[in-house]
Amino acid sequence: MSKSQFTAIQTNSTARGFCLTSAFWMVIATLAGLTAATELIAPDISGNVSWLVFGRVRPIHVNLVLFGFVTPGLLAAAFYFLPRLLRTELYSEKLGIAAVALWNVAIAAGIIALAAGHSQGREYAELIWPVDVLLVITFALLFWNLIMTVRRRQEPILYVSVWYACAAVILTGVTYCLGNVVWKPDSGALVGIPDAILLWFYGHNIFGLLLTPLSIAVAYYVIPTAIRRPLYSHTLSLIGFWSLLVVYSHIGTHHLLQVPVPTWLKVVAIVDSIAMVIPVMVFLINIWYTAKGSLGEVHADIGAKFVFTGTIMYFVVSIQGSIMALPQVQRVTHFNNWVVGHAHVGVLGFAGMIALGGLYFILPRITGKPLYSRFLADLQYWFVFLGTIGFTTVLTIVGLIQGNAWLNGEMIYRVLPELQIYYIMRAAVGLTVFVSALIGLYNIVRTLYFNPGEAA
Amino acid sequence: MSLRMTPGAVVIGSLAILAAVVFVVVFWPYASTDYTPSEIYRARSSVEDGGRAIYIANGCVYCHSQSIRAFDWDLGSERIAQAGDYVADRPILLGSERTGVDLSQEGGEHPDDWHLAHFINPRYTRPNSIMPRFAFLGDDKIHLLTRYVQSLGLKQADHRMARQVYWKQEAIKAYEAGPVANVKWLAEHVPPGWRNLANPYPTTEAGLARGHKIYQEFCIGCHGPIGDGMGPAQPYIYPPPLNFTILQGREISGGILYYQIMNGITGTAMPYFKRELESQKIWEVGNYVAVYFINQSDAGAEPKGIPSAWEP
Repeated sequence: MSKSQFTAIQTNSTARGFCLTSAFWMVIATLAGLTAATELIAPDISGNVSWLVFGRVRPIHVNLVLFGFVTPGLLAAAFYFLPRLLRTELYSEKLGIAAVALWNVAIAAGIIALAAGHSQGREYAELIWPVDVLLVITFALLFWNLIMTVRRRQEPILYVSVWYACAAVILTGVTYCLGNVVWKPDSGALVGIPDAILLWFYGHNIFGLLLTPLSIAVAYYVIPTAIRRPLYSHTLSLIGFWSLLVVYSHIGTHHLLQVPVPTWLKVVAIVDSIAMVIPVMVFLINIWYTAKGSLGEVHADIGAKFVFTGTIMYFVVSIQGSIMALPQVQRVTHFNNWVVGHAHVGVLGFAGMIALGGLYFILPRITGKPLYSRFLADLQYWFVFLGTIGFTTVLTIVGLIQGNAWLNGEMIYRVLPELQIYYIMRAAVGLTVFVSALIGLYNIVRTLYFNPGEAA
Repeated sequence: MSLRMTPGAVVIGSLAILAAVVFVVVFWPYASTDYTPSEIYRARSSVEDGGRAIYIANGCVYCHSQSIRAFDWDLGSERIAQAGDYVADRPILLGSERTGVDLSQEGGEHPDDWHLAHFINPRYTRPNSIMPRFAFLGDDKIHLLTRYVQSLGLKQADHRMARQVYWKQEAIKAYEAGPVANVKWLAEHVPPGWRNLANPYPTTEAGLARGHKIYQEFCIGCHGPIGDGMGPAQPYIYPPPLNFTILQGREISGGILYYQIMNGITGTAMPYFKRELESQKIWEVGNYVAVYFINQSDAGAEPKGIPSAWEP
């Protein structure tokens, strides 16, 4: 990569705003997850409180993780590195701050609406229409800011992180409109089987066209910068970028293999889910070869350590995902906690760890001071790492118990008592991740505002 | 490397790929969808739609699928889902996880009073359930939600509901005629072959312990811990759950208990358990009820044929 000599004063207000957004919503998101996990052990705990009922808490958890914690975390890093990679200033910090504010208003409104029972009932597309509109406007503002920054660049060559960040924001703006059926404000849905096809096209692309490209963008920036070495291969960057967009975006129907959708669509989804190995391995080979021989430097930077661990989780979740697309495998894994485990490797282990890595990488560079506490950042690393491993292990076991029992003709009700001990362990893991979010929020706020450290 | 990425290549290229993908995997299936309703389809009433809105608002879809597959065994698996079942569903509520049962065919599986008790507290009717309580919805919304749930399965649900309504009347008549007539009515509906079936399981200590466990997991919510029909679901259910402690000397054979547990008593809150309990489990919970609550058991009674190697 081209090393930036750019030294003009940057306020980084947008990046700071997204840092705080991410750190704050991570606390609420993991608290919602912990609450839902606890309700599976002690269902009467929600008492007669409507907004505490599992069916409302679960979408709050999922939407906050996706749109409150992970996406803003990744955007924070993007708004930091984009001007540097382009050797210019951000087009408009004011516009950026407006987007951060709008984003937070949208998320808060969406969550309050879900708690009050206003949901469109489609996974990842639950948020009601006014919130959808706010989020789409925010995506438009973000894209405008990014693309205008690109246009004002002093650096002629666009680094791979810039491609991914710009593509993620514009493509998600479009797929969000489509997936939420914004032209149908009341329902936000189509009718019948096409609604399922559209929903899983969209749901799948929240990972494929938002979290993954943004995470890859952050990894492509953080790892070479931390170890001060150029990227291994420009060609691999190109192959990885275009193959990701082509392959990842069209395989959402692998969520519907056991549903009466057209067979050709299932075949395409299965075959190209296997083809996902190409964009995944191309990126990983590129980033791992870049880091080859420099793992000491990766380890020395807490941000890079988070990010590098995230790339390993990306390997795990992607290979697992390809295997899960096989119909024979899905006969066991579909409809149970195996998939929930898979989601936790992807969103907490991969995108979540890279989001946190991005935050910890940019914070000292934004403030010009060391982190408030490297120890607390390390502690959060281990809690999140163990949380990911814990969720994966426990939920995979639960999923195998459920899936194999059902396939053998056992009833859901009869299997429930066998799961409780694992649900308890899962809640314990959730507590770990919630505590890590509290640690992270404290550390990030102290780093930004009450940082006693000496300026570097 | 001569390939240069320009802003135009990134943005226009990405959007072009997305457009092609949307056309092939979203628009094409959408445009070629056959919206012919299946043979079980009927339109939902406005009341049922009101219940569906409550179902969506409270996230029932996160634990209950509506998507029966060719290899399912549990509730609703008599009918494999077809595209034509969903032609009025906006949004479609297939679900992605089964913490609870699939509800595609729940309509008419239980009478309304069972659902009321179950919504007030799911553990009243299903002691091991981990479903939240829905008492907070209030009577009106529980009523709407029940109408929606009772419509699941559409025409097949209507068929089952008609049966529930008919047998509910019969069961109430029998109950209100007094305990003697009620017990007689209940027993007479068991075919003679089943009534006289020799009870193949001895009432061993281990067998009774297993029966006790089954009773706690399936029966206690209605029939209560001492078998007097005063479980927590009792106030919501009519006719009320049977009091086993008055059955002594009324010729309640193991075969009658077996048949009633297996098939349930349609119209009352007593569900069938033949999906959830295999033969031995039904006999042993029947033996538990007979020994502890009725205090009269025909386990091991003649004629027995050649003694089974099972017997102690």
